[in-house]
Amino acid sequence: MYCYHCGALLSEYDYCTNCGADVGTYKKIIALSNRLYNDGLEKARVRDLTGAGGSLRQCLKLNKDHIEARNLLGLVYFEMGETAAALSEWVVSQSRRGEKNIAIEYINLFQNNAGRVDVINQSIRKYNQAYNYCLQDSVDLAEIQLKKLLSMNPKLLRAHLLLALIYIKDEKWERAERELHKVLEVDHNNTTALRYLKDVERVLEPEEGEKKPRHKGKDEVIRYQAGNELIIQPTNMLEQKTSSGFSTVINILIGLILGVAATYFLILPAKVSSVTEEYQAKVVELGENLDTKTSTIQELETQVNNLKTQNAGLEDIIDEYSGQGGILSNIDLLLTAANSYLNGATADETADALTKASSAVELEAMSEPFRTLYQTLMSKVGPELSTNFYTEGYTAYRNEDYESAVRLLTQAFEYDATNVDALFNLGNAYRKLGDNDNAKEVYNRVISLFPNDERATRSKQFLDEMAAED
Amino acid sequence: MINFDEEIKKFSPSLEIGEVEDAVYHLDLTDATDMLLDLLKEQEAAGESAKTDTF
Repeated sequence: MYCYHCGALLSEYDYCTNCGADVGTYKKIIALSNRLYNDGLEKARVRDLTGAGGSLRQCLKLNKDHIEARNLLGLVYFEMGETAAALSEWVVSQSRRGEKNIAIEYINLFQNNAGRVDVINQSIRKYNQAYNYCLQDSVDLAEIQLKKLLSMNPKLLRAHLLLALIYIKDEKWERAERELHKVLEVDHNNTTALRYLKDVERVLEPEEGEKKPRHKGKDEVIRYQAGNELIIQPTNMLEQKTSSGFSTVINILIGLILGVAATYFLILPAKVSSVTEEYQAKVVELGENLDTKTSTIQELETQVNNLKTQNAGLEDIIDEYSGQGGILSNIDLLLTAANSYLNGATADETADALTKASSAVELEAMSEPFRTLYQTLMSKVGPELSTNFYTEGYTAYRNEDYESAVRLLTQAFEYDATNVDALFNLGNAYRKLGDNDNAKEVYNRVISLFPNDERATRSKQFLDEMAAED
Repeated sequence: MINFDEEIKKFSPSLEIGEVEDAVYHLDLTDATDMLLDLLKEQEAAGESAKTDTF
C-alpha cells in the first residue's frame, strides 16, 4: 500500500513515515475494499453472481484502482450475459493499469472474434426490441424475439427473466419455472429469479385444499432443495398405468397400423425416389461413358484411315524404287553393265546394258552417282561403238542404202560427239535421200562444231551448191 | 403475486457493444479515497485560513 500524498510505501503506522500524512482512514478504506473483494470472490466461486457483483461494486466504490476486483466484476457480468457491462469494466481496468493486466487479454479475445461479437450484438438488439414490445403490451411478439435471442445467446440472464415474466403473465407456470431454473443454474442467488420462482412455486404447489391450477394430465413432481440446487423428481414415472388387456391390444394394433402407414407414405416414397435418382445418375454416367468411347472410336478410325493412306503412299514409293522398272532395278541394270564392262564384255554388250538402264529412266532425274557411273561407262565404250556404227553406216552409204546409213550414222554420232566423219556423212546421206532440210541442219552443225576441220569447208561448199540448186 | 406492469418497470434496455466507449467516457469513477482526499484538502484549507485570520 502506498501513501496517497507522496506515493511512498506505507508502514504499520497510521501516518506516512516519509511525508507524515495521516493515512489511518485511508488504510481502513483500502482494507475494507479488500475485504469486499474477497467476499465477492467467494461468492463468485459458488456462482452467487448477483452477490459477487454487489460486493465487487462496493469494493470499487471504495477503491476504484482495485484492478482485480474490476476484472472479476467484468467476468461476473460476462457470465450473466451482460457483455457490454463486462467490456466497460475491462476497458476501465486497462486504462487504470496498461500492462500486466488480464483485462487486456479479455479485450483482445473479443476483438479477435468478430463473429461472436456480431451474435452478441444481435441478441442485445433483440432483447431491447422484446423489452419495447413488453412496454407496448405486445407480449406475444416479445416472447418470439426472446426465444430467438436465447437460441443465439443462452447466457443472457435478463432475457430469461423477461421471458419468465411473460410466461407468468400468461400463466404458463411450468415454462416460467423452467426459465427461472435456467437463470438459477448460472446465478444461484439471482434475487429476481428467486422472487419469481417463489410465486410460481406457490401456484404450482398450492396449499392443501386449494385447487391446483396446473393442466390436467401434467406430470406430478416432488421438489426438494439440495444446497443451492432445486431438485425436481417426477413421481408418476414409477407408477404403472393400469389398463385393460383389450386396450393394450388395440394400442398395439394402432401402433402397427401407424407404423405401416408411416412406412408406406413416408419411408417408401423416399426410398423409391432415392433408388430412382441413383439409377438416373448411373444412366447419365453410362451415357457420358458411351459418348466418350464413341468419340474415341471415331478418332481411332480417322487415325486408321490416315495410316492406310500413308501406307499406300509408302508402298508406291517402295514400288518406284524396287518394282519392275523402278529405280533399284535400273541401278541393277547399270551395275550389270559396269560389271560386264569390267569382265571384258564387248562394247556392244555393254552398250546394250547401258541402253536398257538409261531407257527406263530420265538421266537428269537420277542421282549424281548414277549419272557419273553411266557417263564414265559411256565414255569408255562410246568411241568404240561410234566407230562400229560409223563403219556399218558408211558401208550402207556406199551401198546407196541411205536410210540405214542415216540411222547408223546418227547412232555413231550419238555415241561419240567428236566423230566429225559420222556427222558429215550423215549430212551426205540426208542429201542423197533428198532431205535437204535435215542435210542443211547437219552441215551447219558440222560448221559450228568443227569450224577448222576440212569437213566444215566441204559442208560450206555443199550448202552453197544446195542453195544454188534451190 | 407478481404484477407484470410493475415488474417490467424494473427491467431496462441493455447496452450494445458499440455504446461501451461512450458509457466508459461518462462513467463516474469517484471513490471513497477521492472523497477522503477532498475532505483532507478542505481541512487543510480551513486550517490555513484560520491561521491567516489569527495573524
